Amino acid sequence: MEPVKAIEMRGITKTFGAIHANQDVDLTVYNGEIHALLGENGAGKSTLMNMLSGIYRQDNGSIVIYGKEVHFTSPKDSIAIGIGMIHQHFKLVDVMTAKENIILGKGKGLFTKNKNLAKEIKEISDRYGLDVNPEKKVYNMSVGEKQTLEIIKVLYRGAKILILDEPTAVLTPQEIKRLFQILRNMREQGCAVVIITHKLNEVMEISDRITVLRKGKTIGTVKTSEVQVPALIEMMVGKKVDLEIKKEKMPIPKKPLLEVDNLYVLNHDHKLALEEISFSLYEGEILGIAGVAGSGQKEICETIAGLTRAERGRIFFEGENIIGKSPRDIIRLGIRMGFIPEDRLGMGLVGSMDIVHNLVLKDYQNQPGVFLKRGPCEVKAKAIVNRLDIQTPGIHFPVKKLSGGNIQKVLLGREIDSNPKVLITAYPVRGLDIGASYKIYDLLNEQKSKGVGVLFIGEDLDVLMDLCDRIMVFCIGKIAGIVNPDEVTKEEIGLMMTGGKEVSLS
Amino acid sequence: MNGIHISKREDLPKKRETVIRILAVILSIVCAGLVIWILGYNPIRVFPSMISGALGTEIRLQQTILKAIPLIVTSLGILVAFKMKFWNIGGEGQIIMGALAASYVALNMDGLPKGILLSLMALAAMIAGGLWAFIPAFFKAKMGVNETIFTLMLNYIAIKYVTYLQYGPWKSPESQGFPKVATFSDNAVLPKLFGIHIGWLIALLLVVIVYIFINHTKKGFEISVVGESRETARYAGMNIATIILIAMFISGGLCGLTGMIQASAVEKTLSANLSGGYGFTAIITAWLARLNAIAVLFVCIAFAILLQGGAYIQISMQIPAAVADMMQGIILFFVLGSEFFLQYKVNLAGSFRKAKEVA
Amino acid sequence: MKKLLVILLVLTLSMTAMAGCGGDTGGGDGGAEDVTTIGFLYIGPITDGGYNQAQHEGYTAVKDYFGDSVNLLYAENVAEDIQAVKTNAINMIDNGASIIIATSFGHMDGMEELANEYTDVTFLHFSGYKKNDTNFGNYFGAMEEARYLSGIVAGMTTKTNKLGYVAAYPYTEVRIGINSFYLGAKSVNPDVTMNVVYINSWGDAALEQAAAESLLAQGCDVLTQHADTSAAQTAAEKAGCYAVGYNIDNSAVAPGSFLTAPVWHHEAYLIPVIEKIIAGEYVPESYYGTMADGYIGLAPLTSLVSDEAKTEVEKVQDQIVAGEYPIFVGPLKDNEGNVVVEEGKALTTHDEIWAIDWVLEGITAIQ
Repeated sequence: MEPVKAIEMRGITKTFGAIHANQDVDLTVYNGEIHALLGENGAGKSTLMNMLSGIYRQDNGSIVIYGKEVHFTSPKDSIAIGIGMIHQHFKLVDVMTAKENIILGKGKGLFTKNKNLAKEIKEISDRYGLDVNPEKKVYNMSVGEKQTLEIIKVLYRGAKILILDEPTAVLTPQEIKRLFQILRNMREQGCAVVIITHKLNEVMEISDRITVLRKGKTIGTVKTSEVQVPALIEMMVGKKVDLEIKKEKMPIPKKPLLEVDNLYVLNHDHKLALEEISFSLYEGEILGIAGVAGSGQKEICETIAGLTRAERGRIFFEGENIIGKSPRDIIRLGIRMGFIPEDRLGMGLVGSMDIVHNLVLKDYQNQPGVFLKRGPCEVKAKAIVNRLDIQTPGIHFPVKKLSGGNIQKVLLGREIDSNPKVLITAYPVRGLDIGASYKIYDLLNEQKSKGVGVLFIGEDLDVLMDLCDRIMVFCIGKIAGIVNPDEVTKEEIGLMMTGGKEVSLS
Repeated sequence: MNGIHISKREDLPKKRETVIRILAVILSIVCAGLVIWILGYNPIRVFPSMISGALGTEIRLQQTILKAIPLIVTSLGILVAFKMKFWNIGGEGQIIMGALAASYVALNMDGLPKGILLSLMALAAMIAGGLWAFIPAFFKAKMGVNETIFTLMLNYIAIKYVTYLQYGPWKSPESQGFPKVATFSDNAVLPKLFGIHIGWLIALLLVVIVYIFINHTKKGFEISVVGESRETARYAGMNIATIILIAMFISGGLCGLTGMIQASAVEKTLSANLSGGYGFTAIITAWLARLNAIAVLFVCIAFAILLQGGAYIQISMQIPAAVADMMQGIILFFVLGSEFFLQYKVNLAGSFRKAKEVA
Repeated sequence: MKKLLVILLVLTLSMTAMAGCGGDTGGGDGGAEDVTTIGFLYIGPITDGGYNQAQHEGYTAVKDYFGDSVNLLYAENVAEDIQAVKTNAINMIDNGASIIIATSFGHMDGMEELANEYTDVTFLHFSGYKKNDTNFGNYFGAMEEARYLSGIVAGMTTKTNKLGYVAAYPYTEVRIGINSFYLGAKSVNPDVTMNVVYINSWGDAALEQAAAESLLAQGCDVLTQHADTSAAQTAAEKAGCYAVGYNIDNSAVAPGSFLTAPVWHHEAYLIPVIEKIIAGEYVPESYYGTMADGYIGLAPLTSLVSDEAKTEVEKVQDQIVAGEYPIFVGPLKDNEGNVVVEEGKALTTHDEIWAIDWVLEGITAIQ
């Protein structure tokens, strides 16, 4: 029997000003299929899906849902027809319970029928294997639970077509497994699932078919079973890309640069954010930190950089205790940090200022006198732009108007340019596409070969395992273990992150 | 779909920006004209009379400049704080405290030579205004106390304290029991240059100084960075608390200097309504100048033209004060409104074009 | 959109152009032959039902008297600081004014500065004490005479023997009024006492009303005020009590409470002095008008006033006008028990009266 076409988008074109976000894009998704929408940042994936969920309207082309052409004027129309979108940023009210969030916005009439609702939620949960306590408040939920709740929410509203925008970005391996199981259950039930991602291994694992977009155009749709990763990459990037992360062996006589000894740190609520943290960072190594978001990654960075006070413990840099030193002094010692927060700008760069002033940011305090000298930084800015191939109209262009990859290059370029001894880098490839990510990994490896001790905080376990010499796993503010990536599996690290098991290796 | 969609603008071509601004001015004039026409005045006479009343003769020009001086100095003070996104609504109080300190010096040390006395008055005023701003800055920096309410409340404390002095300890025995502080001796009065007290020279100098301070010094750079992103400043190793304290001391100091200028050159005494609302007006002018010191100069002059023009037509055309104030209000409404349209984009229902990152 | 823009542009341009032709005729052409432009500065609105209204009645009388030979300007709500006084006065001078009349005490310092800067303009200041030898004089009146007479009315009307006085500032002019009113009441009613509340403002209807209500609550059944509005009279009417007004005849505003009011006849001074100024014969002076001059008056006693009181007032008024009735006659003690006017002495000259810095025994004053 010919499967039912759930979505049929034909010749979709959408422009924003001079930019063609989508150009003559085709996409067909069948019922009972998990369809991956693959592409680099800026390829037009989200724009396409936003048109499907009624947020934008296409300039040209048609959208046919279950055989009927539709003209959405608002997200409400899209929801009404059975399309549910799970965004990267959850749209939940923190102080409400799961149940309250589910009925929110659905409100017809002032009161809701509690009994029916509980029953309905249970029905939906059972059918797809979803598991959420309806009375739990959102602020008490883990990221995985919030995502599950979002899924229940759209299902409760009658969604038969589910769109997920980068759903695995914030999940642990175990949570990803659970999510994939849910998606498979939905497939069994005859739903159509579209998953937007740029993680190739996940695409290979979960999807039935793949549509690849590049620069706003459809490159092609392939069956997952009939395609190999390198071919997909070529479709995405438009050329062959070498995806090997080189890992040089560390020199044998290891000299510790940074020694952290029994560190305790409190967070804003005066609760322990870090406990009993002891480790060494050697020269010429990349030490990775893995952990569920909020396990103390930010605190360890800030404490080493002198931005957060340690409650107890010592940090030695080349034999000298740096606890109590000012951030400024620590920078002078050669410990540099580049932290990429979720909005990419917040902590390292001033968005409205240009590259020069963002370089001045870490330089001006070494200048004598009261006046600001920009000259040296202009020279440096030009050098960095050239060396890292930063795409910008000029060094006097506000950094917030650059693309994500270029912003991150500016940030990392600035830290590397100072010839640091220790480089702390948190989420340096956050939101970057494949090409840009590998450029960053190369930069880190280059630092490593220069003898710099690199502390790398990452999200993607695959990358951590490929890049790092050792991985330190954090679990709720404690070190669950420091492992050699060659000797453990991803799943084992995932378990350690969530407190399942401890592996002690050096 | 119901409602209106408002989103922040990313970019606007210079040409459209100019068109919006011009449109705002024209609309404001048409609207204000309509209102005064309804009230029975001839708008075709009123507007030119306003302009000529502010610029037409030397006397009028002087009057305009006299109003621009305190506005410029205060706006510069507000600018320094706002550059840091520290919402200093306490300009009034800082002006008053500056005037108070200057008056104390003027009344108690009037035996000093003029130059020294005036310098001392200015210094005292800047310290007093600075300290008055330092209090909320301290609580903001150390405890995160909201500065908006804090600075606002300090206005009232300052005004009431001066009222108390005026009615009590500082009441001049020569005024037959009328609550008035004694008049300064001539030594404590700012001299004139080209017919206007030298406050105008001070204001011009300060425009240049503040411009250089914000754009070409390390401290100014720190203030800008703290204003743009506190986290970035922290990660760059800046001592945010110190920066807040210093910037607010400067901000309050400049406002305090306004107090000294007004007390010394205009009122020749201390009074509770000496601040004349400049502390609040300066918020508007600093904002309209987009926190640029050079632009402050021009915006304040334009505003002073509006003030003097309004005062002039009240007299020359015998328009009630309320109507003149209303005209100023309408003009301001449109000009400020255009700033909104320059920064935000408003879409009426139905059209779903969000100027967002193209994803 | 574009069309709208064009229309607006044309509109504005045409407005400006027309105005350009018209020049600045709006600026009252004071320079024309034989027309004297006179500017009045008021501290409040001319419709305040009191002080400023009385001043503006003077303005109107001047206008009626001189007709087309004067061009009158006025500014309301001129604050008592130099900046406000100068801004308004200079704008008037710029519009051709050769006489500036400021009408509140706090306008004095601004007027002094102006007189030094604009020597060809004549400055007249009501209620102040500063003047110079060329172009700056002041004027005021012996309000104590009318106050005393209205005190007689109050003293003979009160049943509780408690009078209430809403006062502006504890300032000499106000104290003279308080004491003379009380002396008038006491002259006919030895048991009378008086409470005074200072509102620390010349005029503020809300403050005046609040003060009046507090006095009524203290058991005062006849109120008067030295403040700019009629709020005390309306408050008294509401409470079923009586009130003596001030500044102008307010019998229509509070017919249920209004007894009489000491009033100003500013035109009695302004008309002759303006004639002198125009004729170039003015010599700065400190004018102090009296009832005899017609500068001070008493509003007609209303039907609420007893015939007895009417007779008493008429009798005393005749003596005052004849100059045979000094108000402040010893022995007088202030409310701290000090003798302020000795037995057998009286305060008769302006300077003696304007040295009063006390309130009399029997008066309770609240700051």
